[in-house]
Amino acid sequence: MAKRETPLLDQLESGPWPSFVTDIKRQAETKPECWDILGILELSYKERITHWKHGGIVGVFGYGGGIVGRYADVPELFPGVEHFHTVRVAQPASKYYTSANLRQLMALWEKYGSGMTNFHGSTGDIILLGTRTENLEPFFWDLTHDMGQDLGGSGSNLRTPANCIGESRCEWSCYDTEDVCHSLTLHYQDEIHRPAFPYKFKFKFSGCPNDCVASIARSDISVIGTWRDAIRIDQAAVKEYVAGNYPANGGAHSGRNWGKFDINKEVIDLCPTECMWMEGAELKIDEKECTRCMHCINVMPRALRPGLDKGASICVGAKAPILDGAQFATLIVPFIKVSKDNDFEELIEFIEKVWDWWMEVGKNRERVGETMQRVGLPTFLSVMGIEPIPQHVKEPRSNPYIFWREEEVEGGFARDIDEFRAKHKA
Amino acid sequence: MALSKEELKKAIEEKALTSPKPQLYIKDFYACDPDTKPRDMKNVANEMVREGKLMFWSSGSTTMYAIPSRIKNEEGAGGIGNVE
Repeated sequence: MAKRETPLLDQLESGPWPSFVTDIKRQAETKPECWDILGILELSYKERITHWKHGGIVGVFGYGGGIVGRYADVPELFPGVEHFHTVRVAQPASKYYTSANLRQLMALWEKYGSGMTNFHGSTGDIILLGTRTENLEPFFWDLTHDMGQDLGGSGSNLRTPANCIGESRCEWSCYDTEDVCHSLTLHYQDEIHRPAFPYKFKFKFSGCPNDCVASIARSDISVIGTWRDAIRIDQAAVKEYVAGNYPANGGAHSGRNWGKFDINKEVIDLCPTECMWMEGAELKIDEKECTRCMHCINVMPRALRPGLDKGASICVGAKAPILDGAQFATLIVPFIKVSKDNDFEELIEFIEKVWDWWMEVGKNRERVGETMQRVGLPTFLSVMGIEPIPQHVKEPRSNPYIFWREEEVEGGFARDIDEFRAKHKA
Repeated sequence: MALSKEELKKAIEEKALTSPKPQLYIKDFYACDPDTKPRDMKNVANEMVREGKLMFWSSGSTTMYAIPSRIKNEEGAGGIGNVE
């Protein structure tokens, strides 16, 4: 494959930031098909239209996910990218790798693919870009048999579950996110590898409300660590922060001079529920008003810690903008215990209840959040068997229409209208 | 009453052969037997893929099912149903 002239793409190398064009040119020195990637992109820039076909029928035998077929519609011009399939490899929990594992994976991809990668895709998978159909089965064999790794999810499957680093390195984690993610990945192998749903389905696990995997914005079921009791306060450490002896935010913003630490300005006044105040030198928190935003804990980590009665909140229905625009997940279960002792039974029961309903009611290519939006939260709660609570209400009085079921109305719907009108004129 | 597995496979095959579009969503098969639970329907459809009676077509974000002979293979022949 010949080197391609790419005057438009070359402009992308002239800016101050690292350029993927430079990276691909370097890769083309050992993998000449990468010149055709630049060539086809240059053509698309010139003609302002894509030259990739939509989807395909490639995969590995027995799997309905993990491979995304990509074919060029101008193979005669760019034979190196006639097939340029994407392979999604499931990432380990928290994305911990050994360098030996990464070297082995890269050696495998140099052998069977273009050598181009994307660490990581938005679902979290290791994305290997560009291979031919005939290389898929040998690659899959070596990946699974020699490396003990597996493909991730794609299409209408459960996508590869993702989690934050959790208890492995974070003192704030309210449950073992790695354990849940790994256990459920094994539990739902069939759903990850074989399409089961009206559309994609993702779950992500964050250990605390800082939500480092952004599960509330990106997953259909978002499990976010929280606690039921009081934030633990070390009043002596509070005094040290006020005196300026401990750096705020663990020193994360120490590159500039922000002036003396001001607990009112930087913590108390920024509390979204205004549940904090000082009594003399003591910091007080009205626990029942605390919304677990984590701001105070983030600013004063040596003085404040999550409580001890830990578990998770479950939110449902986030998605990125394809149809109706981006939406955050909605809080459905304020607190559940997440425990290995019962094999995460409560969580699994919840997940499968959502699936059974959505598989029945969801339209094709409709995310569960869109189905919820279509039928309304009251219907969703009723299907899930969950009693409405104030936290389910986004804003009070924003919707004047409240629908009551007959059994919720004293006397049912069969009351005497004349008797009612005698007291209430129409 | 739900159809037997073999009856269901036959109904799915018929549906996939006669539908105007060659690619079908899993939900399109629900009508083959309203008494079959969605998860059982998925299991039967996936079994048919393993048997080579159906194959997957994926855009990357959505996966559909098709009869191998009805769908255009970009490479002329083969596809996942025929991979050794």
